[in-house]
Amino acid sequence: MLGPTERIAFLLLVIVCGGLATHGFLRIARIVRLGKAAERTDGLAGRLINALIDVGLQRTIAKARPLVSLAHGFVFFGFSFYILVNVNDLIEAYVDGWTTIGAGTLAGVFNLLSDLFSVLILIGMLSLLVRRFVAKPKTLEFNSNVLLQAKAAGGGVRRDSLIVGVFILIHVGARWLGTAFHLAHNGHGDPWLPTASVVAQGFAGMSPDTLELAMHICWWLAMGLIMVFLPYFPRSKHLHLMIAPLNLALHKSTPHGELDDVIDASAPGAKTLTDLPWPSLLDSYSCIMCNRCQEVCPAHESGTPLSPAALEINKRYWLNANSSSLLAGGESPMLLDFATSSEAVWSCTTCYACVEICPVGNAPMFDLVEMRRSIVFEGNAPDDLAEVLRSLDEKGNSFGQSARRRAKWTRGLDFKIPDARKQPVEYLWFVGDFASYDPQCQEISRTVARILHAAGVDFGILYEGERSAGNDVRRTGEEGLFEALTEQNVETLAACEFERIFTTDPHTFNALKNEYGDGVTVPVEHYTTLLLRLVESEEIQLGDGSRGKATYHDPCFLGRYNGGFDAPRALIEACGTELVEMPRNREQSFCCGAGGGRIWMKDQDGITERPSDNRIREAMSLGAIDYFVVSCPKDLTMYRDAVKSTGNDGKIEVRDIVEFVADAMGLNDEPGDGAEAIPRAGDEAEAGAAPANG
Amino acid sequence: MNTVVLLKRVPDLVEDLEVDSSGTALDSEHLKLTLNEFDDHALEQALLLKEGGGGEVTAVALDSEDVDKMLFTALAKGADRALKITGTGAVNGTSELAEVFAQALGSVNYDLVLTGVQASDDIDGQLAPTVAAKLSVPCIEVITGVEAGDGSVTVHKEYAGGVLAEFEMTLPGVLGIQAAAQSPRYAPVSKVRQIQDSATLDEVAGAGGDNGKFSIVVMTPPETGEGAQMLESVEELIAVLDSKGVI
Repeated sequence: MLGPTERIAFLLLVIVCGGLATHGFLRIARIVRLGKAAERTDGLAGRLINALIDVGLQRTIAKARPLVSLAHGFVFFGFSFYILVNVNDLIEAYVDGWTTIGAGTLAGVFNLLSDLFSVLILIGMLSLLVRRFVAKPKTLEFNSNVLLQAKAAGGGVRRDSLIVGVFILIHVGARWLGTAFHLAHNGHGDPWLPTASVVAQGFAGMSPDTLELAMHICWWLAMGLIMVFLPYFPRSKHLHLMIAPLNLALHKSTPHGELDDVIDASAPGAKTLTDLPWPSLLDSYSCIMCNRCQEVCPAHESGTPLSPAALEINKRYWLNANSSSLLAGGESPMLLDFATSSEAVWSCTTCYACVEICPVGNAPMFDLVEMRRSIVFEGNAPDDLAEVLRSLDEKGNSFGQSARRRAKWTRGLDFKIPDARKQPVEYLWFVGDFASYDPQCQEISRTVARILHAAGVDFGILYEGERSAGNDVRRTGEEGLFEALTEQNVETLAACEFERIFTTDPHTFNALKNEYGDGVTVPVEHYTTLLLRLVESEEIQLGDGSRGKATYHDPCFLGRYNGGFDAPRALIEACGTELVEMPRNREQSFCCGAGGGRIWMKDQDGITERPSDNRIREAMSLGAIDYFVVSCPKDLTMYRDAVKSTGNDGKIEVRDIVEFVADAMGLNDEPGDGAEAIPRAGDEAEAGAAPANG
Repeated sequence: MNTVVLLKRVPDLVEDLEVDSSGTALDSEHLKLTLNEFDDHALEQALLLKEGGGGEVTAVALDSEDVDKMLFTALAKGADRALKITGTGAVNGTSELAEVFAQALGSVNYDLVLTGVQASDDIDGQLAPTVAAKLSVPCIEVITGVEAGDGSVTVHKEYAGGVLAEFEMTLPGVLGIQAAAQSPRYAPVSKVRQIQDSATLDEVAGAGGDNGKFSIVVMTPPETGEGAQMLESVEELIAVLDSKGVI
């Protein structure tokens, strides 16, 4: 279709713009390689295939914002098909007489798809632009105390969005109109091109020369524009369409709950950009600045200066402005000076919500942990945190209490829990700090013990031999202390005989399951899993009867981190309790605000609403609910406080799951009120071995 | 300015303190020692002085349970040298301890000696002035701020009732630190472990100690009363007073 001059002009454009773009992409590759080492390329083929499937099915995007995801889907699937359209248009430009119009059924199907996808892309893109520039959703704004690079704060993200949006509208619009002009030129419509045929009717009166000119202009607007846009591509958010699939493929493949080890023990963590592992640098280029991570971040929601989105955006903007000096051997300034503030770093609850929700596979939370590692190593841990870390170092618990009193809670029991250090047990119960020392949680721990004792389970505890498992210690960045606690626990465990470990605390569960390496080789489970199994095998007999209406809060380290969503729910329902879900449930559960060591630090100044208060408000919005059910000792204390501080005392009761189990087993029935005493299964060996109902 | 910090390990009060069978000492089986928190402030103040104006910081402690880890922690925080006083006999009371410290300081080049203003076994804060007396240098106690001068320090001393005084003290001298200008810094475990692998503790043979002038006759936990009785009403109160023959 193109004339000889046009053909040469386009080739020149390809060479110049393609060259500039290649330079831009190579620069990104060189920048990413400045990051510290990280193992992300094992099983590369599988990683790439999985990423392409995720992208192809739009899985990561469909996790949230359904309407936006639909609009994105229009653009995504449209553009995927447009690769063929672009190739066709190139052939059409350089092969005289080539056209798909009127060229048979196969060409007809191609035309139909290109016609429909063009319209869908235009609808999708227009919707996204209307959303951003007319509807202006709050989620695209940042808390006023969030550190944001001047260029980004000054409308850089909006400008970038506008440029990309207008590019797409012109590129696709021009291609669509060009086809309409083509049809008008032919003098008749084409049933394979329904929308273009309708538009073509509007051009019916134009002269063939005018239509010919219009077709050329449209071709250039569609294809020439791609070339003009290419050099801008590596600097724009549109880059995500290439980097995001790559980033998803190179995502951390170890368990969610296993942090990467410290890279350089003599200078752990990250002070500057290039101290970060290279995937963190890739994250900055992958970021589409959609703020989904910020929207689910409990720290941002509560008004702190932390925005995981701003962290990625700041890294990106700084890199775009300073890549030359960095590649010339210059150093990046301190991350705390331009990427995020120290207060923001300490606001993170390490709840993993930002990593879970990110559609392009970014992991801003890990950057924050790297920064914490460096801050702690430099001796700059916040005072309140430092006090707790000292206690953990000296006494092995976060409560500042005597290690010898760890098992004091067992004194309220009318039986003695076996000491796993002195006798072999089937189940080793790793109790955890909160379940051991917090007075409210101690009651729950005793209930767990009574249930298991009644069910005849062979279990024991480590008494004063247990130390904090170190999950949250590690997430404060105190890697050395985590290692010390791990060593002590592993040494104690090595001297004991047991077949499985179960824990009351999801944090402890996560550490033992994912971060103890060779130190723990037996299966580790959360008590909800164990109890459900005992119920299913009828070693625990639950009575009939309805036990109110409840909503359940997924603890981050049980749910989002380790996929423990179903056992707690099944257990609640097995106890005759009606379960009503909160809007944010399962993977999208909202953190109570205690994780990552936050429970040891005071609330930040200027906080607007504690995450736990926010969560209780969500539960109260469900209407008449009797219970707010938890399966984490920290949740028990956090939410009992939150019920009081939100003025809901007496309206909803925070209960641990085991309280329902104990009720349903009749363990809490007063003797003589009609309920039969539950005999200990172990007391009647036959009954324990063969459940009555098979 | 070279600063010496005297560190002392004291019984951790979160543990139950029990008197042993001799009736004159705490039962060491149930005893856990920890750094006196005021000494931690003294160390912090010394590190702040070093960071502000240079000089060396030397941490000195008497050999005891876990003292190595404590001294390595001081090094990890930024102290230049750690000195462990070994081989002393029983050290009874602050006076004897002051003698041991003073003797050990004979081998150290110092301008300023800092220690905690008090400790759980030195509530009356005798260590700093006694060490100063033995060294024949001046001493000021209850210090909440120290600024280095030329051959002297300017210090803030707290009095009861919120009154604050500023002193200038000619060096060498001893200060009993109430609080450093900032909370004692946290030494990350990995840094302490690295120091443990790379640094060594200096040792000096202890001299002084048991001077025979003091001995503990008896040590006993406070006697507890019979407990309180909570009364619900005036009538109950009258009944109790009546039964005691008060009315």
